[in-house]
Amino acid sequence: MKNAAIILWALIKGSLITARHFFTNLWFHFLRLIGIKKYRPGAVTIQYPEQTKPLPSRYRAAHRLTKRPDGKPRCVACLLCATVCPSECIIVEATEDPDPEVQKHASRFEIDLARCCFCGFCVEACPEDAIRMDTGRIDLAARSRADLVWDIDQLSRGRS
Amino acid sequence: MAEITIDGRNLEVADGLTSLVAAEKAGISIPHFCYHPALAPEGTCRMCVVDIEGAAKPEPSCSTVIRDGMKIETRSPRVVEARRNVLEFLLADHPIDCPICDKAGECRLQDYYRDYGFFSSDFHEQKKRRSKILKIGERLILDRERCILCTRCVRFLRDVTKTGEMGVFERGDNSEIGVADGVPVATAYSGNLVDLCPVGAITDAAFRFRTRTWFLDPKPSICPFCARGCRVDVDVHPGFARYPETGGILRVRPRPDATPAGPWICDVGRYAWIEIESRRARRIVWNKGAAEAVLSGDKVFSILGAKIRALSESGRTDRLTLVLHSGLTNEEWADVKAFRDGFNPRPKIRLADPPDDGGDDFLRTAERMPNRRGAAEAGCDLQPLDPGELREDTDILFVFAGIWGDIGDLERRLEVWRTIRTKALVSPVLTASDPLFDFVFPCAIPYEKSGSYIGFDGRRREFTAVRPAPEEAESEGEILRSLLAACGLGARTPGGS
Amino acid sequence: MSETLVLLIKIVVVLAWFLVLALLLTWVERKQSAVMQDRIGANRARIFGLRMFGLFQPFADAIKMIFKEDFVPPFADKVLHTLAPFVSFFFVAVAVTTIPFGPTVRIGGTAIDLQVYDGSAGLLFLLAMLSLGVYGILLSGWSSRNRWGLIGGMRGAAQLISYEVGLGLSLVGLIMVYPSLRLSEIVAHQGALFLGFLPRWGVFLQPLGFLVFFITAIAETKRVPFDLPEGESEIIGFYAEYGGLKWGLFMLTDFMEIIVVAALATTLFFGGWQMPWLGPDGLNWPWGGHWKMASWVVVCLQIVSFQVKVAFFCWLQILIRWTYPRIRYDQLMDLGWKLLVPLGLLNILGTGLIMSLK
Ligand code: SF4
Ligand code: SF4
Ligand code: SF4
Ligand code: FES
Repeated sequence: MKNAAIILWALIKGSLITARHFFTNLWFHFLRLIGIKKYRPGAVTIQYPEQTKPLPSRYRAAHRLTKRPDGKPRCVACLLCATVCPSECIIVEATEDPDPEVQKHASRFEIDLARCCFCGFCVEACPEDAIRMDTGRIDLAARSRADLVWDIDQLSRGRS
Repeated sequence: MAEITIDGRNLEVADGLTSLVAAEKAGISIPHFCYHPALAPEGTCRMCVVDIEGAAKPEPSCSTVIRDGMKIETRSPRVVEARRNVLEFLLADHPIDCPICDKAGECRLQDYYRDYGFFSSDFHEQKKRRSKILKIGERLILDRERCILCTRCVRFLRDVTKTGEMGVFERGDNSEIGVADGVPVATAYSGNLVDLCPVGAITDAAFRFRTRTWFLDPKPSICPFCARGCRVDVDVHPGFARYPETGGILRVRPRPDATPAGPWICDVGRYAWIEIESRRARRIVWNKGAAEAVLSGDKVFSILGAKIRALSESGRTDRLTLVLHSGLTNEEWADVKAFRDGFNPRPKIRLADPPDDGGDDFLRTAERMPNRRGAAEAGCDLQPLDPGELREDTDILFVFAGIWGDIGDLERRLEVWRTIRTKALVSPVLTASDPLFDFVFPCAIPYEKSGSYIGFDGRRREFTAVRPAPEEAESEGEILRSLLAACGLGARTPGGS
Repeated sequence: MSETLVLLIKIVVVLAWFLVLALLLTWVERKQSAVMQDRIGANRARIFGLRMFGLFQPFADAIKMIFKEDFVPPFADKVLHTLAPFVSFFFVAVAVTTIPFGPTVRIGGTAIDLQVYDGSAGLLFLLAMLSLGVYGILLSGWSSRNRWGLIGGMRGAAQLISYEVGLGLSLVGLIMVYPSLRLSEIVAHQGALFLGFLPRWGVFLQPLGFLVFFITAIAETKRVPFDLPEGESEIIGFYAEYGGLKWGLFMLTDFMEIIVVAALATTLFFGGWQMPWLGPDGLNWPWGGHWKMASWVVVCLQIVSFQVKVAFFCWLQILIRWTYPRIRYDQLMDLGWKLLVPLGLLNILGTGLIMSLK
């Protein structure tokens, strides 16, 4: 009998909690509706396509190939990123650069984002600061696997 | 014999050795740049310093000959400090452009920096700029910024090839390596400079930017381009995962025991594969009239087998002629013998090797083929081919072209051609004479075979395949076995040749 | 003739009210659960850029369900499979006809009960109709020829019949207190006062009865925490093989059951359309004041009072549905047979004792 009382009380308490949430949230919704924004919003929902959650500054999103001041990619095709990549999703091929100070640049640079595990090792390995994961792009859905293989142009464009 | 102590170990070594060699024999390695086992010591880099009891300061071990009772410390704090300082000086003007350097991964500066370095340099001056992409030979690129002036290159050209194109010019801080009078290095052994250079100062234009060294998988093989039979490492790139087309042979280098003369190979052995790879034949082709039909191997073998069987049923297998070359391995010669003995009367076997050239007085032999002795010992009573003899008495002709795809002057005797009903070519590369044959088979190059050669000195050299042959290509021995099996006159044994 | 016309109008009005409220409830359920859980809830359906807090969601749902394939599994009993959702729907729709929405009003000399059917055994009729709903469940589960559907249907039948007992018992006390089975009379009885100021609502006279009634009634609606018949989240229930409009009908029936339960609770225990202290001529404060009102105002107030109470109980049921987790089947049976039925009996006993002592 005592048990039953405890259970009953717990049940009532439970509904009181949800009811409290209901009324406070409703109240805040109402305040927002009439234009008072002093208090918290009534819901924690982020309305995704319109609103986005601010990414932490070190968030590892899709890659970007950084550029030299003259606009050419910084990458010198040293293949360190391809070496370190645990997903084996980077492929780089090198070619001669006309500039003797640069000598070497990537003629082909592809990252298969469908395979990438976003570990950021490539960024750490790069001796030229040529690859970063700071595009903030997390919406990487595509209609085919091939669309997720980004080539050097897509990677250089960064946020696009 | 001398008794010495190295790092507390008592050793008994032959007189006259340098302490570096003595230590190496005892399994103690001493870092060095300018010392090279096949070159006379020069003592310019000072990386090899060791503590010798009684000496006031560390001495270079590469040029210090041992004395009885010598006590050597190779890792005392003083020595380590000295090496670190040497490295710091060597790196003072070094561009440290490892990301674009083809030597990275097998560079002594990198190795020793890891072992002795890890300092932050005290040099804050502007680094000296020098020429970075200097062409000093057909395939040699010199980067003077990376050079540490060890003079290995100079000594090689002076002492080994005795051509002496290179030298150290200017003095002091301005010293730099260069070719005298701007005449490029033209010896037939120029590629060895790339291996010799302990840093990335001399790099190979043929390997330039192809990949990074740590992706390479060195596979031992025997150079098939002359009878010397130098031991080589074929550096194979296994290809990036899911991009198999990125793989392949990328480099051929001498093994440390390449020849008794030292770890050298000639430029033909080093670079010939490039052209061969670029011309590789990969498909079996049936030239039917003007059109080119592509067929499966089994189908082609059954067509050819039926033709040979027809000959054999009428007892005229002597009208089958095989033109071979002595680049076949000993094991393939056994296959040739089995093929010949599979028929009665025996088919004719002829040898058509490229003519000897003079060779040179260093490594290259006059013979262009690696296994002439093995061919002679195979017991196939080989005779050189006289194209005229094909005119009357040959119905089916098999020509096995050498690694270059050359078939001598056969094709120039066109009137012979019309009298032969079926002609087949087996060649690792595409050739201009392909259309003259009814059937063209691709075959494996020697690096893709396992077997043995008998070189100019009568010694047997075993080797194994560095990688599989292209899908439709088989070794010559396998082709003969398949053919014999297709005639219904022998079992096709699976397995290597 | 005019009586039939009035009846027809009443039927149409009540059914319309019923269905619209049920549709609205689908929205309320979504929104209320969202607000309870700090979410926003469905808000994307819009017409001409007008979002209206997702009020168009029910229409979007309806359109979606209409365009879905009306799939009958090839192995199913086609007739019964199609019939089942209508059976469920029908009995709930019939049950609501017994609910009095307001007092008797006079329009031009005709007395009109704001109630479709005021049978002398209205309560029994209502209970009977609710019980018949179980056929919908059984039929749907059985006719799908899907073992999960069938098992779900059996679970549902067992649950509904078990709780039927508790439900019936919980109302016996009430019938004893208001000696009538006619719902309009039960409501009328609740208009009187008790102890001088409390309205004679069922909940005050029969608190235990109300508790048992409310729990069993929620169980009858087959919603969380008693949603074992359907258990859509994992155990799969009787309408596993339904989709499109027929499935929608089941869902609609669910919401209609909520309304019926809410209306029943209001009618039986919360004074129905009665408003405390509101007599036919105005407000009579218990401390002696009197506010005079026109009789149409009174009627309107009473109808509104009924609606407010129904709305409250709908809200409460949704609150409960989004608060508690589902109970286990053995717990369900324990609760029904070992707690609620004895409590119902106890309630009858207590009521009888108190009544005989008076
Ligand atoms: S983030 Fe990691 S897995 Fe992705 S490309 Fe870079 S190294 Fe490879
Ligand atoms: S590590 Fe950096 S410089 Fe090297 S290939 Fe990758 S992106 Fe280019
Ligand atoms: S180019 Fe290489 S081998 Fe020649 S001196 Fe410089 S570092 Fe030594
Ligand atoms: S190796 Fe001895 S001084 Fe260079």
